[in-house]
Amino acid sequence: MNYFLYFDPGLGAMIVQAIVAVAAGVLLFSKNVMYKVKAFFGLLKKDDETYDSIDIEEQDTDTHDPAQK
Amino acid sequence: MFHDGKTLRRVINPIYFPQYKSLTESGFFKTLIGNGLLIPHVENSASEDKIVITPEEIPFITNPYEWSFEQFKHAALHTLKIQKYALSKGYILKDASAYNVTFHKGKPVFIDTLSFDFYEEGTPWRAYKQFITHFFGPLVLAKYHGTEVFKMLQTHIDGIPVKLIASMLPGKSKLSSTLFTNIHLLAKMESKHSEDYKAETKVAKLSKKAQSNILESLFDFIKKLEIKEASEWGDYYSKTNYETEAFQAKKELIKNWVAPLQPQKLIDVGGNDGTFARTVLDNVPHVIVTDIDSNAVDFNYKQIRQNKETNMLPFVCDVLQPAPGIGFNNTERNSLIERLQEYAPDVTMALALIHHITLSGNVPFEKSAEFFAKFSKNLIIEFPTREDSWVESLLVRKREFINHFDFYNEVNFEEGYNKYFKLEKKEAVTGTKRILYLFKTLN
Repeated sequence: MNYFLYFDPGLGAMIVQAIVAVAAGVLLFSKNVMYKVKAFFGLLKKDDETYDSIDIEEQDTDTHDPAQK
Repeated sequence: MFHDGKTLRRVINPIYFPQYKSLTESGFFKTLIGNGLLIPHVENSASEDKIVITPEEIPFITNPYEWSFEQFKHAALHTLKIQKYALSKGYILKDASAYNVTFHKGKPVFIDTLSFDFYEEGTPWRAYKQFITHFFGPLVLAKYHGTEVFKMLQTHIDGIPVKLIASMLPGKSKLSSTLFTNIHLLAKMESKHSEDYKAETKVAKLSKKAQSNILESLFDFIKKLEIKEASEWGDYYSKTNYETEAFQAKKELIKNWVAPLQPQKLIDVGGNDGTFARTVLDNVPHVIVTDIDSNAVDFNYKQIRQNKETNMLPFVCDVLQPAPGIGFNNTERNSLIERLQEYAPDVTMALALIHHITLSGNVPFEKSAEFFAKFSKNLIIEFPTREDSWVESLLVRKREFINHFDFYNEVNFEEGYNKYFKLEKKEAVTGTKRILYLFKTLN
């Protein structure tokens, strides 16, 4: 058992993630297809809201990551 | 966690040294802090048996049940963003508690620096269920039932149980693959496996890519969540009962009264979308604006983001029912009064509020004075007289009991407040049937 696990993650919750991931994969795949279709027709909107994208900008800190060198 | 005088410090034990060192040396902390996602900290000392760090001070901690919809939503997206990034760097968030996020400098910020652990290849996200019960569930419920559901977190400190979330969603929510899998299926699986006392069932493997997909699809779903109430808001001040000139006069009066007090911290209780607090925002380093109306808080939060204001903190608060101390020993999350006493605002404003407290809440003047005296030094309070149209309307609604409220007048108001305060200034607001008071606490 892990020391830092101070709450019960819930067994059902651990198992269900495999199914959740499949559904998520399908959704994201269709989203990407739509994205490509829209990009092809030039229908993409630009939005610079902070919470528009899940990804984080890394700036210059990448150099600290040996795995990326 | 301990207090060194007024400063909050955190102790890291040797068991967490490998994680802490890796997070520091890989530049992980630096990236998160640089992006304003994680609260900055300084390392005070490092020895063989402990490391002490001091996180940047946050003037006032708001809890999830005090957030507006947009705030709640951003806190959820914030958590997902951090977990996705952590995963890409070989770490995980070992918990996804909503209490790990609070609002600071106009934005959500993650405040639990020691919430990260190493990612083990192929393991599902152990904080997944917590994310659903703390963030996803409440947000989805708010979409159907309004933001009142956030208050359920006061009675469920570790999030709303999945089963309860599932039972409160309409049947059609099962048609959404995201809601079906993340809530309905989760609730089913949880009750199916709840009797696995010996931890015998094997947990399925989950690839990093698959986990990342879960995060991304939750992110996309939450990003698009909206509540109906929000769109109806925005024309609040067209509903006020006074003219533009009176509005300006009130603004000027407040500005002139606040300036000589030179407050470092100010709270506007029942401050709506922050319109009046904004008149002094440039001269006060930290301003809190609370309101009972989640939409008003939402609107304020949007303005803060738009104007990039860093010294304004909005949150939802019902003065008649302020957040209690909750959790073990009633001390895990402090009550609103405790937090306000610690915050110790130099100026408290309560504009167009007393008639609601007194007439809608049936709270005698002396009692509301006692409430304000608990945390205020200077109190700027507006008293709408009986001739004010809102007061009239509140009185008329008392119907046959209207005579029970004859006490609602200037004289009794002053008498009640004089028990806890000393009257400093008193002035009628031009163009209205309202009087503005400045009181100082007696002790």
